[in-house]
Amino acid sequence: MPSLTPAETAAQRRKRRTGTLIATPGALYLLIFFVVPLGLITVYSFATRTSTGRTSLSGWNLDSYERIADDVIGGIIARSAWLAFLTTVLCLVVAYPFAYYLATRPPRLRARLLVLVMIPFWTNGLVRVFAIRFLLGSNGPASALSEAMGFGTFRILFTPTAVVLGMVYGFLTFMVLPLYVALERMDWRLVEAARDLYASGAKAFWRVTVPLTRSGIVAGCVLVFVPSFGAYVVPEILGGAKTLLIGSYVARQFQAARNWPLGAALSVLVIVSMLVAVAINQRNSANAERTQGVTR
Amino acid sequence: MASAPPPDAGPGVPAVEMHGISKRFGDVVAVDGVDLQIGDGEFFALLGPSGCGKTTTLRMIAGLDIPSEGRLAIFGEEVASWPPDRRPVNTVFQAYALFPHMTVEQNIAFGLQMRGIRGPDADRQVAEATALVQLEGMEHRRPSQLSGGQQQRVALARALVNHPKVLLLDEPLGALDLKLRQEMQVELKALQREVGITFVFVTHDQEEALAMSDRVGVMSDGRLLQIGTPAEVYEHPANRFVADFIGRTNLLEGVTESPSAVRLDAGAVVAAANELAAGAPVALSVRPEQVRLHRRGETPQGAPCLDGVITDATYLGHAFVYTVAISPTAGASGTSAGEQAATITARSETGSAALAAGEPVSVSWSPAATTVVAD
Repeated sequence: MPSLTPAETAAQRRKRRTGTLIATPGALYLLIFFVVPLGLITVYSFATRTSTGRTSLSGWNLDSYERIADDVIGGIIARSAWLAFLTTVLCLVVAYPFAYYLATRPPRLRARLLVLVMIPFWTNGLVRVFAIRFLLGSNGPASALSEAMGFGTFRILFTPTAVVLGMVYGFLTFMVLPLYVALERMDWRLVEAARDLYASGAKAFWRVTVPLTRSGIVAGCVLVFVPSFGAYVVPEILGGAKTLLIGSYVARQFQAARNWPLGAALSVLVIVSMLVAVAINQRNSANAERTQGVTR
Repeated sequence: MASAPPPDAGPGVPAVEMHGISKRFGDVVAVDGVDLQIGDGEFFALLGPSGCGKTTTLRMIAGLDIPSEGRLAIFGEEVASWPPDRRPVNTVFQAYALFPHMTVEQNIAFGLQMRGIRGPDADRQVAEATALVQLEGMEHRRPSQLSGGQQQRVALARALVNHPKVLLLDEPLGALDLKLRQEMQVELKALQREVGITFVFVTHDQEEALAMSDRVGVMSDGRLLQIGTPAEVYEHPANRFVADFIGRTNLLEGVTESPSAVRLDAGAVVAAANELAAGAPVALSVRPEQVRLHRRGETPQGAPCLDGVITDATYLGHAFVYTVAISPTAGASGTSAGEQAATITARSETGSAALAAGEPVSVSWSPAATTVVAD
């Protein structure tokens, strides 16, 4: 490697220093409000709960993690994962055709439709969930319609179904956007090539369009599954007492149950599973960049 | 100029037959009333500038665009409304459109799979097609790991493995650099002879079209202007556009004087056979290599001849290209108003004596080597 002249070295150093300077405020913010609390949670997860419900930071142990395996908590985790999975699948099924439609419109129309997708996203999430609660309630319009059509009143509010519906509504945008990006980048000439090579429309879709938009599918699934798994607001408002999910359970540990170490341990579990999902996503997009598609 | 009847496409049922085919996209007429017959086993080039409708014409044969009007038959079968997957044709796409998520082998096998051909039979056919385009050893690579020329071969193999009745090629050599393109021209032509499939080839490169095809169709603004062998369209262009587009030519503006003479705007009346009424505005097309340069006063008898001055001499290695500014003929009656400055490009082999810019010369040509073209 050729050695650099002093002037070049100085220029490089200046460049590095400018970069560091620009990044400092953001880095400090993240350090204080994200890294430190995360560290605290991790520390607390190894702490002991005293009989009075206080947290003792003296006796370090894995008790809280061991409790995760017990039936009640295991059941809550399994239920959370199952509902998050259902939410993800429903989001994918609803969002894919819509994103496909979006991506195949003329560019100007696309921009307008995208704004429509974003609008609910800009409204307060809590308000939206209460709106759904009103819609699905036993005195709400959905029930009234069902009664008018002779199906009787329906009881959907405070069931897992309501939670999934609410989460699909809440997280649909996270699925639509990455799918849209993937489909918009899609080279439709490849679909034409498949049709030219005797593939029916459906076969061309499964053999070409889906594999080539896989990066969007995986990204959307991760982006929906992760917040669904740890969801707190939606299950609290739409779910019943029987639909206890991990988000609510963690909150309860920090509030009523006053078992901070268990709450912290569960939080760590959720965070780690999310990190795994994000890692999958990153590897996926790296692959997509390398082969513009998928690896087998 | 009355257009000659299109040359016979050969005996038997034509591979592709188009009658009054038009394609409109909204208000834009992409293809306008094309009549075309392409014979079985023919290498046919559709030639024209970008946006002339040649690719749309090809896409209609493939079934990727459905004609707005007209009849389209492939080996006698009316296919105008058939979807692409039912048609016995395959396409080598511009920029190839290889499936990036599949290996070379999977790309080539795709068409067979879609038709339900699997197992050893499919493997054998894929191996044959791979060998045909000399891609052995590349089977497990992805398109992104191949050079442009190799990708081109995969695209060919992927189409040919299906033994289509017609192979459509959309600017297949456009993405290659000059040297590779010239090699592939030769190879593609040889390949076509070997497999005996009808090739319909779209290109904007007139040299490529002339070099490779049995017949050429020249398109402009959605219309098919002339169909003929390369020699026919080169030597007897049907109109001004074809003359100008195919190769280099000098277009000398003028009006017809009689069936055997044209009065050039430059002043001279020169012999040139034409079938137009006297007084029609025309251009006389003279190819640069047909133009003879003489030192002023050494002109041969009997050949049309104009005086001029060399304004530019360019050395090309194998030839000189001269630009000659034509001097208005002194004493030509009634031409002062219509006279226009005209230049002629002449080309001569390097072996002959070089002429320098500024030299007064005379240019001449053989009347038989010129064509009178109208718009």
